[in-house]
Amino acid sequence: MSAALLSAKGLRKTFGGGLPGARPALDGVDLELAPGDFAVVIGSNGAGKSTLLNSIAGAFTVDAGTITLAGRDITRLAGHKRAGMITRVFQDPMIGTAAAMTIEENLALAERRGQARRLRLALDRARREEYRARLRPLALGLEDRLATPVALLSGGQRQALSLIMAVMSRPSLLLLDEHTAALDPRTADLVMQATLAVVQEYGLTALMVTHNMRQAIETGNRLIMMDAGRIRLDVGGVEKSALTAADLIEKFRIDNDRMLLGA
Amino acid sequence: MDVLNAFLNLIPVTFAQSLMYSFVVLGIMIPFRLLSFPDLTSEGAFPLGGCVCAALILAGWNPFLATLVAVVAGVLAGMSTALIHLQFRLNSLLAGILVFTALYSVNMRVMGRSNVALFSADSVFLQLSPAILGSVPLQILVFGVLVAATLLGLRWYLATEAGAALRVTGINPDLAPSLGISLWTFTLIGLGIANGLSAFGGALVVQLQGFADIGMGMGLLINGLASLVIGETVTGRHTITRQLLAPVIGAAIYYQFVSLGLSLGLQPSDLKLVTAVFVLITLGLPALRRGGPSGREKLHA
Repeated sequence: MSAALLSAKGLRKTFGGGLPGARPALDGVDLELAPGDFAVVIGSNGAGKSTLLNSIAGAFTVDAGTITLAGRDITRLAGHKRAGMITRVFQDPMIGTAAAMTIEENLALAERRGQARRLRLALDRARREEYRARLRPLALGLEDRLATPVALLSGGQRQALSLIMAVMSRPSLLLLDEHTAALDPRTADLVMQATLAVVQEYGLTALMVTHNMRQAIETGNRLIMMDAGRIRLDVGGVEKSALTAADLIEKFRIDNDRMLLGA
Repeated sequence: MDVLNAFLNLIPVTFAQSLMYSFVVLGIMIPFRLLSFPDLTSEGAFPLGGCVCAALILAGWNPFLATLVAVVAGVLAGMSTALIHLQFRLNSLLAGILVFTALYSVNMRVMGRSNVALFSADSVFLQLSPAILGSVPLQILVFGVLVAATLLGLRWYLATEAGAALRVTGINPDLAPSLGISLWTFTLIGLGIANGLSAFGGALVVQLQGFADIGMGMGLLINGLASLVIGETVTGRHTITRQLLAPVIGAAIYYQFVSLGLSLGLQPSDLKLVTAVFVLITLGLPALRRGGPSGREKLHA
């Protein structure tokens, strides 16, 4: 195994300001991702999946533990300063895009992620051409609607756009936070296909949270299961590809209706 | 007929005046509409600009330099409000109230008394051409050029990478950090620009009127909001250009209404009530039609 791209050690986080009885959302999580890994995180509600993603993205600082990315300690780095290296697609399509701005303005904002915002016009002919080329593979027709406000797009279209926005600055790590959960099954499939395509095309390392068992089994080269703020299972390679939904449920007694229903 | 004539005669003067006030309305629009940050600082930044400018001119400063310093003072006032909100997590309205309350004392210190007359003291208008002070058409020309230049500047800025980042902090503050955009930086910049404009308006008004008064900002915010709302009903808000034109067009219409009201015999002191009721109706009506505002909705005005 090559040197880890992401290395999280002993992550702990408790919300609620340490009130008596507060349960840790992260209770000592160790996680290493190698370059090119596509890891899928599953677990019941409250297992700490989203907290893990949020702490890697820098939405808050962890109570204990360290996070290093490509050898750099980012544990104390503010979220907006990590954004050049780590990008994410949110579950809520409304969060991942700026509704009142046009498709091209959203893409221009994403293109400068991690770089200084200059006093230079955000859009020009060459950029628009490039944005069209990036949107075309989605086959949603967005490339012909660059000047359309994002508010007029459907949830699926917004989510697909927010996926393109997340990858266009070529991040080291892509975080997917149940990014298809709010979509209807057909659209969810479409966005998932697009996700796999861009991850492949850009050679990205990805960490995806999902409640969908089928997605967890079919996608990625690693499966991570969390429970009560800890990683209970971390399988990769052949072992992962041999897993079935029934295996998972039986072996680890997952008592989560959402996961069963999603399978 | 006298009433009508009085009003008609005042139209050009009122228009010139409204062009000056449109800087303040722009200064109110930017936080409210572009940053989704209801900012009340302009109530203090406007007199601050006026008082600083008047005090410096009386101290013998070049009027252009005095105006520039007044603008810088306004920028700092706006940034103070932003800092109070960001650092101490105070509600944005409360942060604005704190700053404009504090500025009252600052303005008093700056001027040394509650009002000063500039009499024959220098002003940017005298420097440009002494004819301006006596000629309404010339005033309209000068203010018109200033307003147009400001609008073009803002339009250009908002189309830049930095301007787009500023807009996204207002449109989707959850998204901004994940785009690598610091809410701090752009809230500071936005409120700085806005209150710099309000202070600029104050400095111009003082130099045109020939006096500065500690109470010159009173009720200004409501006048500005009323102007903004009127302007937006005319221009709409769906493009940046329209959003930028709204304050100027709104101020032009609003101050004509004020002039009409005064011609009809309304007392200046009654105007505040009339304006407040007007703002309440225009802002409140959509909520009543929808059957109450929804919980997630941001306070827009």
